[in-house]
Amino acid sequence: MPRRKLSEYRSKLLVCKALGLSYKGWEVKNGDSIDEIDNHDNYVVKVDQAIKGRFKKGLVLLGVKKSQLKTGVNKFAKKGYSHFIIEPQFDHAADDERYIAINHDRTGYWLSFSSKGGIEIESHPESIKRALLNEDTNWEEIAQETAMSKDHLKSLSQLFIDNHFVFLEINPYILDENNQLRILDAAIEVDDAGMYFTQEWSEDDLRSPKMLTITSHEEVVRNLDANSPASFNLSVLNPNGAVFLLLSGGGASVVVADEVFNRGFGKQLANYGEYSGNPTAHETYVYTSEVLKLLISSSAPKKVLFIGGAVANFTDIAATFTGVIKAINEHERQLQTQEVKIFVRRGGPRQEIGLAKIQAALEEYSLYGGVYNPTTSITDALNMALKEVAE
Amino acid sequence: MIQLSEIRMTDIRVIVLGSHPGIVQSILDYDFLIGKQQPSVIAIIASGRKQERYFWGETEIILPVVSKIEQLDEECRKVCTAVLNVQSGRRILNSSKLAIGLLPNIKLLTLFAEQTPEGHSLELAEYVQGKDVLVAGPSSVGILLPGFVKLGAIGGTQHKQLSEAGILDSGDTAVISTSGGIVNELIHTVTGTGFWVSFAMAIGGDRFPITTPAQAMLLAEADTQTKRIVYFGELGGFDEYEIADLIDQGLITKEIIAYVAGTVAELFETPPQFGHAKAMAQSQDESASAKKERLLKSGVYVCDTFGDIAVKLEERRQEQKPAARTVKTIGEREQSMIISHISGDIDKDVQLLGRPLLDTVEDNTVASLILSMLLGSSIKSKKAEEFIDYTIRLLADHGPYVSGALNTIVAARAGKDLVSSLASGLLTVGPRFGGAINASADGWLFGVNEGVSPRQFVEGFAKNGGIISGIGHKKYRLDLADPRVSSLKQFANNSNDDRYLQFALSVEAITTTKKANLILNVDGVIAAILLDILESELRYTREQLQELIDIEFFNALFVLSRSIGFTAHYLDQRRHDEGLFRLPDKALRYLG
Repeated sequence: MPRRKLSEYRSKLLVCKALGLSYKGWEVKNGDSIDEIDNHDNYVVKVDQAIKGRFKKGLVLLGVKKSQLKTGVNKFAKKGYSHFIIEPQFDHAADDERYIAINHDRTGYWLSFSSKGGIEIESHPESIKRALLNEDTNWEEIAQETAMSKDHLKSLSQLFIDNHFVFLEINPYILDENNQLRILDAAIEVDDAGMYFTQEWSEDDLRSPKMLTITSHEEVVRNLDANSPASFNLSVLNPNGAVFLLLSGGGASVVVADEVFNRGFGKQLANYGEYSGNPTAHETYVYTSEVLKLLISSSAPKKVLFIGGAVANFTDIAATFTGVIKAINEHERQLQTQEVKIFVRRGGPRQEIGLAKIQAALEEYSLYGGVYNPTTSITDALNMALKEVAE
Repeated sequence: MIQLSEIRMTDIRVIVLGSHPGIVQSILDYDFLIGKQQPSVIAIIASGRKQERYFWGETEIILPVVSKIEQLDEECRKVCTAVLNVQSGRRILNSSKLAIGLLPNIKLLTLFAEQTPEGHSLELAEYVQGKDVLVAGPSSVGILLPGFVKLGAIGGTQHKQLSEAGILDSGDTAVISTSGGIVNELIHTVTGTGFWVSFAMAIGGDRFPITTPAQAMLLAEADTQTKRIVYFGELGGFDEYEIADLIDQGLITKEIIAYVAGTVAELFETPPQFGHAKAMAQSQDESASAKKERLLKSGVYVCDTFGDIAVKLEERRQEQKPAARTVKTIGEREQSMIISHISGDIDKDVQLLGRPLLDTVEDNTVASLILSMLLGSSIKSKKAEEFIDYTIRLLADHGPYVSGALNTIVAARAGKDLVSSLASGLLTVGPRFGGAINASADGWLFGVNEGVSPRQFVEGFAKNGGIISGIGHKKYRLDLADPRVSSLKQFANNSNDDRYLQFALSVEAITTTKKANLILNVDGVIAAILLDILESELRYTREQLQELIDIEFFNALFVLSRSIGFTAHYLDQRRHDEGLFRLPDKALRYLG
């Protein structure tokens, strides 16, 4: 997986460290004690799980007294959240808020900044200036405009470059009455392929709004992915959906999901996911089992499973289908009772053997919908499957 | 950037970084099927072995493996024009930069692994800028120019698949795709609708591929052979805007049939991460719909459903189909489990060293047969033969006191059989007993070839507190010469052909000034003379000599010779038959 969000806590900690500032804030996970938090008049308690629009969703508590911290955290925990951040509350005038961000693209590393920070920034995109970071960068000028020193700017950029960040934003920050920088909010996105090369963040700091609702099926697939050279992913979209997908390949899987959506079956789409990189028969067995369990527990009256993929380059169709067939065999009865039809479209190394085996198995279990080789396009094959669940 | 026409004129010679036998075999099969005279893969960079076995058609061939690209000779590096990098995403940046730096004529590079950090891709993209090399990836299944080169898994990995895919002939339709599975699907679609492919490239599903879709389009545009382009893109990134801009500027004029995947993302507030790293729209502009819209505006034929690509191509198909396609297949084949240079059967007749057993036996003395077999090829050298003959006789036994002989005797007295007793003796051969010839050869080879002076050589050992193998004796001294050493020296080459022996003697001259018994011993002199003979008589290179040391050839000579002695001691003891041997009580002091 590629771009991921760091926790607010880790983001602020890293930004403050780079700027030579001390950071006051505490990361609280479900069950952590909050007794060691310093004394302050008021605190802010927030859910720290990369969720957008937390204010609107009521996931930020303001003006919390120390004695109320526990109740505050528990209130969120009861809603199913598990990661929180607590900070001393700090009030300031909104008009001196500033904005700074770093990103990278093919042309290099870019610094963006504006004196109209905070929520203002969205209504004033024209106020954002951009500068490419290279030998010609006029650091003095940027320092002047951002109210940060040249050292601050360089150290922030270095933090970004050295630790595989893909996005860093400080919005807002201010200069307080003593002309000291104060970071009020910061966000960092990282490239998880860089995890091996950095000490500044780790898997524990990565946050995704998905973690709230992860199902046991998704968990099994996540573990499968983490422990195999092949890749697997599974997202449950609608547990009571009618269209179930067992797909191979990052590109083909999106083509199939698109087609389901474009044909008006989006609401009935139960899952998205794919396996690729020539997994073993055992691995496809585990993966298929999870998709089948999902399918069987769906309450939709009519259900269909589409097993599909492009013409593989190096994934062995006979081997991967052996695992798929084993899983189908184990759930044969339930699938039959629920009158599920299974459609297959696939090509690649040893496709004749793989397709013949799965066709024989589906016919034997009375689950046969259709088995197609690459002479039928993947979308045509899918459309035959969709007919099964059409009104 | 290099143009496709230039790649088609290049003699493609591939070095593979990392190990992926399935893909390597598929490249060889493709070469074979398109009628190349020899395999395009010339070397593999991987650790833990010296060669790998593959098929060329139905015949087994061997490809050399070295652990570092620097170990390839200059000629090999010079002829290399393409690299397939199948190492992990973590290593892609460093290994690719190294390869490009060391291979002056590299023109094509495929990066296979997923999970290359974005920063590394950007750094590599900058590094290759201005260099005449076309890079596919990271996370790319490769580049295919039908009839010329297949660099990666692209097109398939099974020879049957390659035969049937219609990719042996070059055509007029380019396929460019961010997805590896889809690139193959599209190749299939193109050939299935009666077109042949001119160029196919898997861009890779990362955020920052080294070669962008727009750059690949420009290659197809400049290629006179290509008439149309089939393109597969997906949500995330701004590639389609670049392509549209190029069309608007008149820089891309060829017809494009495109599909941009990911409209399904609009179903979700927070869409799931789709299969590829880049497949995540961070703004409305990066959504599939917005990008489709932009391409449409520039006149690209944008398919709403993937199946439309085939429909659209059918419409384009000319009345006349292209010439009949090449049909060539590869038959059944099975990899052998073991290979041997020494012996084997041909038509049920036993062969030894390349000739019928009896012919070889009758043409050789014991010594020449042993040397030939130990070196793995028929050796004809009188000098070498005589030296080996003398050495075997000399090493046959050195008294019953040494550990190996004593072990054999003890085992024989315990009533053990021949093989057990012999094995018990042989099992003592190692770093302290008998292993000195090999270790000594290693020292002389290093000293001579690295240009180390004998003094530096001795100091090097002294500093590390080590002993020099091949130097020193218990009994014999400078003033009491070892008669065996003197007689061995008669085999020394004359004049300039004895640099190992001269080096060993210079070392002895230094060590004996420290202590009179630090003389060149039997092990040291055998090692030195043998190196001289192998080098001057049999033309062994340094690498070949090093290999002999690594595989314990010099030890083998000792083991073989001394087995005679051990066997003799076993038979001798069995004739005496004195019963179980036990150390007398006084022989051991108990420390409590």
